[in-house]
Amino acid sequence: MIIDVLVVLSLVAIAIAISWRYRLALEKDLVVASVRAILQLTAVAVVVTLVFKEPAAAIGFVGVMLAVAAYTSGTRLRGIPHAFPIATGAIAAGAAATLVVLFGGRVLELTPRFVVPIAGMAIGNCMATVSIAGVRVREEIADKTSEVEARLALGVPARRALESYVRRAATVALIPIVDTTKTVGLVTLPGAFTGMLLGGASPGEAARVQLIVLFMLMGSIAIAGMSTALLVTRAFVAEGERIVVPAGP
Amino acid sequence: MRDVTVSFSAGLVTAVVGPSGAGKTSLLRCVNGLERPDAGRVVVDGTDTREIPPTELRRRVGMIFQTPSLFEGGVRANLIYGLGSVADEELEEVLTAVSLSPSFLERASSALSVGQAQRVCIARALVRSPHALLMDEPTASLDKDASARIEGLIGSLRDRGLTIVIVTHDLAQAKRVAEHAILLVDGVLTAEGSPADIEDAWPEEAG
Repeated sequence: MIIDVLVVLSLVAIAIAISWRYRLALEKDLVVASVRAILQLTAVAVVVTLVFKEPAAAIGFVGVMLAVAAYTSGTRLRGIPHAFPIATGAIAAGAAATLVVLFGGRVLELTPRFVVPIAGMAIGNCMATVSIAGVRVREEIADKTSEVEARLALGVPARRALESYVRRAATVALIPIVDTTKTVGLVTLPGAFTGMLLGGASPGEAARVQLIVLFMLMGSIAIAGMSTALLVTRAFVAEGERIVVPAGP
Repeated sequence: MRDVTVSFSAGLVTAVVGPSGAGKTSLLRCVNGLERPDAGRVVVDGTDTREIPPTELRRRVGMIFQTPSLFEGGVRANLIYGLGSVADEELEEVLTAVSLSPSFLERASSALSVGQAQRVCIARALVRSPHALLMDEPTASLDKDASARIEGLIGSLRDRGLTIVIVTHDLAQAKRVAEHAILLVDGVLTAEGSPADIEDAWPEEAG
């Protein structure tokens, strides 16, 4: 197995050679990235081995994933009032929906082996969605402050005045998963499917798991994206039906 | 703004003039609640604005901005924005009031000139039957002809009984449209009277 990795590292060497030959100045980054990947994945393999044995460790692991995801999105949303609680709540809500349906509905076995990777996928995708939706709402309101104020000046409540920007942000956050699902198998063989095949599962089983993943992500992403858009918008509403003009990132 | 006490007489056009950065726009924004004064109060129709729900206040006191801002949808969608359904006759009436033909009702917002868009913005405020109209440099983004049309409109709106407050950096415009004027310099009310009186008090350095 170690030999396998070494063989594949020759491709990294090619990347480094290209960078050197064409002066992309990426040699150092490529080395650092590769070393980090080896260390991180080895560590994860060790941790996941432990996590698969101990349900308590699994819960802790999912907690860490949520915390890191919330921190990452929250940082992206800096400048938005209550950025961190919003990011945490939206990611948790999206991921929770997936976990409840898949494990409550007994689609998958309630064991660490299933809970951890599923929670990881849900949290990771929700994190990306929360960042996109939140940043987009902030940009929309910052760019269109005068339009928003023109709406307010007509005697429309602030939340109503912000509706179309919320809608736009939520749509943008949902487009990738909709497109991915539409074209699955035609444009890309997605992660779960590929992974299952490489792991030796039958194409039928791989397709089943991939469908579960895509459908769960649609629900989770919709919840995370919409709640982010709504919460961020609400954070920009000030007393007296006014808006707080967002600061830059 | 500091210690500014001013009243805008009902049914008249008052111009708020002064060099840029004097606080003219802030004064208007305080009147319809887009900004809140740190101290002091704003009274509209005899009631402290803090006692009036902001949405109600803003329907009573319309505001026109420097750059006309039309929303998605056509002219009709803009006029009825936030109102649900409004009878066509009423919409045609407000369009006529801003010298636009009723056929504009079916126009796309993107097909309008800036001057026409500004008139649609005024019509959009009028649909809400305001008592007063605040206009913040309403001709700043318009050419000479379009500006003249808006100035003409101001008189006819006053004749309909509207109280109008217009912010302008242009004293000549104040003289053309307003009966009354106040001069703000660096957030302080420095003169009040007819636009001609204001001219004498206009700070030299402001040009």
